[in-house]
Amino acid sequence: MGILTSGRIVAFIAFILAWIATYLGIELGKRGKVKIRRLPALDAMEEAVGRAVEMGRPVFDIIGMGTFTDIYATQTVAGLSVLNYVAHLCARLGAKLYAPQASVDVMPVAIEMVREGYLAEGKIEELNVDEQLPYLSGTQFAWASGILGMASRLKPASVIMVGPFWAESMMFAETFDRLGALEIGGTARLYQLPFFAAVCDYVLIGEEIFAAGAYLSGDPLQTGSIACQDWYKIAAIILGVIGAILATAGLPWVSQLMSI
Amino acid sequence: MSEVVRKYIPLLITFIVGVIAVLDFYTTVPAIRGTFTVLKNWGIVVTAFALGVGAVNLFRVHGKRIAERGELWPLSGWLLFMLIVFVVVGLSTGKFDASWQYKWIYNAIMLPLGATMYSSLCFYMAMGAYKVLRIRNIDSLFLFLTAIFVVFGNTPIFPAAFPGFFYTREWIFKTIISGAYRGIRIGVGIGAVVLGIRTILGLERGYLGRA
Repeated sequence: MGILTSGRIVAFIAFILAWIATYLGIELGKRGKVKIRRLPALDAMEEAVGRAVEMGRPVFDIIGMGTFTDIYATQTVAGLSVLNYVAHLCARLGAKLYAPQASVDVMPVAIEMVREGYLAEGKIEELNVDEQLPYLSGTQFAWASGILGMASRLKPASVIMVGPFWAESMMFAETFDRLGALEIGGTARLYQLPFFAAVCDYVLIGEEIFAAGAYLSGDPLQTGSIACQDWYKIAAIILGVIGAILATAGLPWVSQLMSI
Repeated sequence: MSEVVRKYIPLLITFIVGVIAVLDFYTTVPAIRGTFTVLKNWGIVVTAFALGVGAVNLFRVHGKRIAERGELWPLSGWLLFMLIVFVVVGLSTGKFDASWQYKWIYNAIMLPLGATMYSSLCFYMAMGAYKVLRIRNIDSLFLFLTAIFVVFGNTPIFPAAFPGFFYTREWIFKTIISGAYRGIRIGVGIGAVVLGIRTILGLERGYLGRA
């Protein structure tokens, strides 16, 4: 086993199985045999944008301050998928979108996605990138205070926060709540989840943000690809139960198997 | 041609880079390790270029605000002034952020401001806790009781007088919370892996603007 890194062999096999499971999920999705449960937080996005249109106030979409090169990159990608969807909605329904940026490597992608959304809806002339997607700061609390200032001045009707968040999550959630905004929050950072759960109107918990792109696309092929998440969870539960029973009996076989 | 450039070439690049990154993690092949190191270095260079995008955006937005004497324009002027000061001090000393002058500015301005914002979190958390801990039904009663034990168990005075608070808090953390925490963590891990596979396969195109 010289080619494979020691201690990651079982993980590699599990990864290969995940590819196979994803392929099977896609095939089932193509045949229309995959149904995923409703996610109220994602369903509420249209309501959030509609509310902003009715109130004549803007929508804020905050994707956090993750980058493409840190361990939270997947959450950033999930946040960008939601941003793209929200940009489409805002352009279509006529709400003004603000998406303040914190990461210089994510910012060009975010701009491109919002531009694509407005272009697809034939409203590109309504987009002012400098005003609507300003770069505030790469420093956590400078960025956070910038957003709090923008929120106080612009008084958004709705705010969508999906991505990696840190201590600023509670500041955002509370401030937007005080401004009377409808809040949709979602992150896979476990320490911040309780803050969103405490204050936001709708919450995406952990893995749900990763399904957002596929869910919002409505594409059966993509929906099929996220079905395998549940299969893997079932496998994890079975392994967990067996491992707990064996470990209680003094046989740490499952943990030893995982470390091969 | 446009579709090839905007859609297929980025997807191909994503696939190749994604597969190399995965193989780098799981294998010990020197050629793959070396290739991925080069790719990571490219990433650092591209990120450095991206810094310019942020700086240009700041100058455009705030320069326009100053020129038009827009709302709070003196603050925009102050922001650009400090941006230039940081850059000039960093470059002129030749030691960038390691110079004492740069460190002094950073420690005298940025750190206290950041600490001030961070410390204001206690008020936000108190407001959030008030909303969550109002007893409206049986669920919120249990949440309230749990919070009482956790909050009192975290303070020095209560466990000193009543050690039971400390042990109850420990039991809540190690028995109840860690179970739920691990469940969510497993879900997050699986979700991230599947999103990665979807991205490599070109199914997740959010980062391309659904090209």
